[in-house]
Amino acid sequence: MLGLSLAAAPHFAYQPFWVSLLFLSMIAWRGFAIWRHWPLPGKHRRYLSLIKWFIAASAIGLMLKSYGNFIGRDAGTALLIVMLGLKIIEIRNHRDYYISCFLGYFLVAINFLYSQSIATALLMLIVIVLMTTCLVSLNDIKQTISKATQLKLASKMLLQAIPLMILLFVFFPRITGPLWGIPQDAQTAQTGINNEMTLGKISQLIQSDAVAFRVKFDQAIPSNNELYWRGPVLWETDGRTWRELTLPYRYAKRPPTITTMGKSVRYTVTLEPHNKNWLFALDVPTELPTSLSTLFSHDGKLLSAKPIKQRIQYQLNSKTHYAMNPDTEPLLADALKLPAGYHPRTRALAEQWRQESSQPEDIIRMALNHFNQQPFYYTLTPPPLNGDTIDSFLFESGKGFCEHYAASFTVLMRAAGIPTRLVTGYQGGAVNPVDGYLVVRQRDAHAWTEVWLSGRGWVRIDPTGHVSHDRIELGMANILPSEMRAPLFFAQSDSLIDVWQQVSNNWDAVNNAWNRSILAYGPELQKSFLSQLGMTNPNWQSMAFTLFAAFSVMLLFTSAILLYSRRDTDPVAATYQKFCDRFAKLGLTTRYPYEGPLDFASRMANIHPDHKADIDLITTQYISLRYGKTMSSLDEFKNTVKRFKPKIT
Amino acid sequence: MNVISQLYRRLNTLRGRRVFILPTRFGVLYSGFLLLILLAAINYSNSLGHILCFLLASMGHLAIHYTYRNMAKIELLNAYSKPCFLGQAITFYCRFDNPNRQDCHHLLVASKQSTERSWNPFKNLIGYQYQPHQALDLLSAKTTTTHRITVPSIHRGQQIIGQVRLSTRFPMGLFKTWTYFSPECTAVVYPAPGGHLPLPYMTSDGQDHAGAQQKGGDDFAGFQAYRDGDAIHAIAWKAMARDNILRTKQFSSCVSGQLILSWQATASLANSEARLSQLCRWVLDAEGIDAEYSLVLPKLSIELGRGESHQQRCLTALALHD
Repeated sequence: MLGLSLAAAPHFAYQPFWVSLLFLSMIAWRGFAIWRHWPLPGKHRRYLSLIKWFIAASAIGLMLKSYGNFIGRDAGTALLIVMLGLKIIEIRNHRDYYISCFLGYFLVAINFLYSQSIATALLMLIVIVLMTTCLVSLNDIKQTISKATQLKLASKMLLQAIPLMILLFVFFPRITGPLWGIPQDAQTAQTGINNEMTLGKISQLIQSDAVAFRVKFDQAIPSNNELYWRGPVLWETDGRTWRELTLPYRYAKRPPTITTMGKSVRYTVTLEPHNKNWLFALDVPTELPTSLSTLFSHDGKLLSAKPIKQRIQYQLNSKTHYAMNPDTEPLLADALKLPAGYHPRTRALAEQWRQESSQPEDIIRMALNHFNQQPFYYTLTPPPLNGDTIDSFLFESGKGFCEHYAASFTVLMRAAGIPTRLVTGYQGGAVNPVDGYLVVRQRDAHAWTEVWLSGRGWVRIDPTGHVSHDRIELGMANILPSEMRAPLFFAQSDSLIDVWQQVSNNWDAVNNAWNRSILAYGPELQKSFLSQLGMTNPNWQSMAFTLFAAFSVMLLFTSAILLYSRRDTDPVAATYQKFCDRFAKLGLTTRYPYEGPLDFASRMANIHPDHKADIDLITTQYISLRYGKTMSSLDEFKNTVKRFKPKIT
Repeated sequence: MNVISQLYRRLNTLRGRRVFILPTRFGVLYSGFLLLILLAAINYSNSLGHILCFLLASMGHLAIHYTYRNMAKIELLNAYSKPCFLGQAITFYCRFDNPNRQDCHHLLVASKQSTERSWNPFKNLIGYQYQPHQALDLLSAKTTTTHRITVPSIHRGQQIIGQVRLSTRFPMGLFKTWTYFSPECTAVVYPAPGGHLPLPYMTSDGQDHAGAQQKGGDDFAGFQAYRDGDAIHAIAWKAMARDNILRTKQFSSCVSGQLILSWQATASLANSEARLSQLCRWVLDAEGIDAEYSLVLPKLSIELGRGESHQQRCLTALALHD
């Protein structure tokens, strides 16, 4: 029962409160029935059965109300928990116990659909042991072994099962899911960058410590100010919200012309699921990843054919110096549009700069100088903006972070007649010294701009860097206030923050290893891992064959361990047995089961009168060793037996 | 032919006893749940789901070994029984030995009367009778336990224990392993005592008469409480009129006398089983009044004697009468 409660406990977080309440009250009912002999529903207590049916019916009613059906993960789990709760109060015979235990195992499996963290895995391991203990105690009806021994037996079985489990895990041919309809509710409310931006949205992300993706570089990690991870590119605006361009398919999927320069960087990204199509790549990848079906969009972002619902890995080559669409850009008009009637003061400022210079480079420099020299502050907690957000930011508050600067810079440039677009993504990341991975978190979310200059193409301008140099050069982690870098207790002093960093680095490395090697182990990883193991062209047949072979070996091994019992190790008995066997070699019957050593000796002495002295000596020594008060030496006994070699007379 | 049978025998001793193992219905249910978990894991591409499924599968696999080990080496050393009367339950005492280094838990013992083998293998599986108390709950490592198996007696004569089936589901209940023993133990079932004929007293002239006491008219020895089968005319009616208790009159010359319990004396009874029951009753009665008695059956006679072993001899002779 404890096991079942533990198995169900993590579900309470996702389920409506009445599900948990019902389950816990059923547990309590059963508990009181055992402890205080409360009545349970049964044949003799019809009224309690009525209550039970009433509970069941109302639970189904509530469920229909909250979920509408019983199909899908959340509703199914709720149904399972409610049913299990009701089962608990009507457990009467063995069959019910077995079914509850099996349902408990199943609940564990469902738990993993919600969370696959190390902590969950450990908790579930405990649940499995408890369930198995329950099964053991069911089969030991008279409770001849104590609960502790039952627990020990269950844990022992679990530990012994682990090698087999690993074997199955590695070699069992994996199938790419899903098998039936896409589980719609499997990913709900993933945090991450969106394909539209309203001022103030990214600040929610910046509060989040969640990992967006991890990167392993083959060579040295480029400097922080080159680490721009490109995401959705926003073009359209209605004055408040920025969106991607909606284009007909054939235009949208036409890659830009990119000429790259300089050194290429090779790296592997492990992307956390975000339920969106885009992949993040270091600006700008030189080829498409081979492991996924992907394409470049017209504005240079990497798109996957399917939304990313699982953690995936892909390998890329990137060059940080490039020119995108340097000669022609078909969508220039879209990069100049501004909603009519918005941002009058911003437009006026841009108009003023335009009259000062006709060179776009000059206007850009003027705008950046404006951010740099006027009182603009970089803050993660900007004051709310009233009315026209861009005007209000540029001319009143002056306090904001990347999205404010990027959006207002875009408006300024477009008003000045320079084609500009807004790029969202991540910037920087923190290197975990434990495993050398660059960890990019949600708080590294960033927004910057690109202006199109004839002959140079789209050029990245990051206005935030001109306000807060540190954001770009050092990365987000170093400019966060201390209370956001570590929990309250550790935030008190710098050394404690360092301790916290150390611990969280280690923990993150463990998590990363867990994610990469265990959770991400799917069909692709299995193939590459088995190729590394030396299997040429691992297909399901060869996997099944290897699995079968390895399983057989393992099976022999386990059965040998479990079933092998050593021979009698008592040296006296063994030596005496050797003595008896000597006669067997002569073709005589050895000692009968009922024959004592003395009887045997006299029988043998009758057959071999010439060995009578030896036989008697050995028998006397044996008896004195076995039963005597004065011990004769064991070595002597062994020697006499060794010397004793009867011959056929 | 001889070579083949010798080879077969040697193979048998090499292989040891045949131990069977099959999943129970819970084992089948368990595998069903595992399949469900695997499907869910594949559908949601859930690695830990896969791991759980494989872990449970491995545990189920280990359960085979554990269940097998719980019973594989147990031997039935010997079995003996005590005689009983028809209608009573026969108790067989079986000595089980556990040479393992591990304790064995919860072994179910069942038995079946017949040893005949059938061409139909399923026939050999069925017909075993469990009794709830016939479970060996614990057989400690390296010990020997005597276990009682009670079996209803079916017919007079010799009754074999037949096949003994030892089975276990410990530890997880997913698999059931079982094995058969043929202990070759026979119990003697005496006929059920019965019949209403009075004891055939032997007169001094050496002739035996059924119901001798009415003629004898020897010294009155006292009363005895009435039992079924006592002659009506031996009832002490006068004594009954006084205190309403039925008694029969006993005569001293008979008490010290010798009895010959003969097959002929029961000629008035319908069939041989009834006659044997009557004789059985007489043997018990004769032993009860501490008389010397002899038993004369058509093919065998037992000389005069008394005491427990004599009684046992007589009863065994009755049981084995053909």
